[in-house]
Amino acid sequence: MTNKKTRREGRVAKTSYYATLGPYSLWAMFFILVPLVFVAYYAFTDNNFNFTLEHIQRFFTATSQVIQSDGSSKEVYTYLVIFWRSLKLAVISTVVCLVLAYPLAYIMARAEPKVQKTFMTIIMIPMWMNFLIRTYAWMTILQDTGILNNFLTFFHLPGVHIIGTEAAVVIGMVYDYLPYMVLPLYSIMAKMDVKLIEAARDLGCNGFGVLRRVIWPLSLPGVINGVTMVLIPSVSTFYISQKLGDGKFFLIGDAIESQYVANNLHFAAAMAFILMVVLLVCMGVMQVLTARHVEGGK
Amino acid sequence: MKKIIELKNITKSFDGETPVLDNINLDIYDNEFLTLLGPSGCGKTTLLRLIGGFETPDSGDIIFLGDRINDVPPYKRNVNTVFQKYALFPHLNVFDNVAFPLREKKLPKEEIEEKVLEMLSLVALKGFEKRSVTRLSGGQQQRVAIARALVAHPKVLLLDEPLGALDLKLRKDMQVELKKIQKQTGITFIFVTHDQEEALSMSDTVVVMSEGKIHQVGTSVDIYNEPVNAFVADFIGESNILDGVMLEDYKVRFSGQTFQCLDKEFMKNEPVDVVVRPEDVDIVPVEQGQLTGVVTSVTFLGVHYEIIVDVNGFKWMIQTTDFVDVDERIGIELEPDAIHIMKKSEYSNLYGDYSSFSNELDELSEVEEEDEDE
Ligand SMILES: Nc1ncnc2c1ncn2[C@@H]1O[C@H](COP(=O)(O)OP(=O)(O)O)[C@@H](O)[C@H]1O
Ligand SMILES: [Mg+2]
Repeated sequence: MTNKKTRREGRVAKTSYYATLGPYSLWAMFFILVPLVFVAYYAFTDNNFNFTLEHIQRFFTATSQVIQSDGSSKEVYTYLVIFWRSLKLAVISTVVCLVLAYPLAYIMARAEPKVQKTFMTIIMIPMWMNFLIRTYAWMTILQDTGILNNFLTFFHLPGVHIIGTEAAVVIGMVYDYLPYMVLPLYSIMAKMDVKLIEAARDLGCNGFGVLRRVIWPLSLPGVINGVTMVLIPSVSTFYISQKLGDGKFFLIGDAIESQYVANNLHFAAAMAFILMVVLLVCMGVMQVLTARHVEGGK
Repeated sequence: MKKIIELKNITKSFDGETPVLDNINLDIYDNEFLTLLGPSGCGKTTLLRLIGGFETPDSGDIIFLGDRINDVPPYKRNVNTVFQKYALFPHLNVFDNVAFPLREKKLPKEEIEEKVLEMLSLVALKGFEKRSVTRLSGGQQQRVAIARALVAHPKVLLLDEPLGALDLKLRKDMQVELKKIQKQTGITFIFVTHDQEEALSMSDTVVVMSEGKIHQVGTSVDIYNEPVNAFVADFIGESNILDGVMLEDYKVRFSGQTFQCLDKEFMKNEPVDVVVRPEDVDIVPVEQGQLTGVVTSVTFLGVHYEIIVDVNGFKWMIQTTDFVDVDERIGIELEPDAIHIMKKSEYSNLYGDYSSFSNELDELSEVEEEDEDE
């Protein structure tokens, strides 16, 4: 009896759901798709809006000279190097985020509701701050004469040179994007049935076994979400590298920004377009791989 | 018979005040089907979790084959559990769920396959290996859970109300099947239920609990025929429980009459509780009755009638195949073996009078409970 009733209510809800979807999809189309279409349009046109592959080509073929440590110079593919560097730093940041966020999310999900709320607030607070400010804050912390080094010298420890290294850029990105990793992991772990963990322990798993055979596979969808939400913005990030990397690690986001500022809209769009395609392919591959993994049991 | 588990003076409390388990002592033997029976909230699950290793007692010892295992983690205990809601791994198919404990032991592939298939045929699920557990019916999930818990051949299997979520028909089938599996495997089953009928029909040993205490341990027949106190008498089956006085051995007085009984070794004139099962009461013509009363209600239940009889203000429940009419005056006769005498306890006078009894009310409340479950 109850079943029938909820089913009928469900149908009503669905009809009105589609009804409200109409205006929404128009809205979404306009504000999400139209900009994308413009990016693609600019990427494949020249200044007179005639079709061209010139900008795409430039991305793959432009070269420049770099001075190596022994003083000799070497010719490299300018944008491919930048792109590779962006990808590398983004992947490192994503992995660091995952390693930090996973146990944190697990502990949060198992804590008492009050503790969970406190954790959540602490994690959200940095997100309320403008990310330029956050980056400047990290500059003052990491500088050679910054808070961190003052702290170290106070305890008579040797200082560290971090600012201007890749590590500084990674720290900045991890700090910025950690919440986007924690939240999806936390939400999937909070939903996880504690009884499954007990069942695994009952059936012979020690702590690590439970993690490897039950918690990890069940949390995979959250891992995918978190990785997506961290990897994408960190690949295309800019500014962080300029400030924390001392301008030494020009990233693809910085390249796009500088071309845009220099009014090379078409080349900026071409780079954005290529980045988008690469990310889409990455995400697609990841979805397929994990879908196979998760379905492996079915 | 070999003792497999001994519980010694086990006490457990979650808030440090009200004990959920209060000085539990229990011996569990090899190869027996033991049932923990008691109303909801009496501590059955907690006791099971102590044996499984998911809780530790505040005081007292859990002895497993002679060794104290209070602090041994669950994965090192030779005990497996069938959880209340099965707790199957949703990311694994039927085969991989059952193979789970074997893979943890790193057995060779062929051996795993052989054992899993053997278990699946034991629980009648051959051919379901590749099926996702999320696409099984409740009864099938139940079987997977049993197979998974048995496949590594634990010494003891713990089952926490495993049949609670099944409908009546399936429940009866599974009762028979579980009993069969227990016989076949020779594994000790510790089964938890709040359903007394289920407990009586399946168990070698029944442990009746309430409020964290064990009242009685015995065979189904013992528990039914010789309940130790008014709580057990009332909880197991239907009982008329009357205030009486033991005049001397084999002689008890209640309802203003003196009756022959089979009980002895009470003090002279000791106040007692007298239990008479509804099916043990004989209806006789008024002039032959040891007691007489007026029928206040008659309910036809198929095999018999259930009638309520007012005897000087105390309402008796009687089950009979003879038809009597409402308002009819009848005589009651009690054979000596129909009478069971119990010592007075804190439960005296709480149970056993059917003055507020109504079949309809019972049914109504049952329907409501089912609704809540959905
Ligand atoms: N983890 C827990 N924390 C606090 N109280 C609990 C916990 N587990 C059980 N209890 C309490 O212990 C009592 C017995 O519970 P339980 O063993 O589940 O009973 P049963 O299985 O017989 O219904 C109940 O009053 C319950 O509220
Ligand atoms: Mg319970």
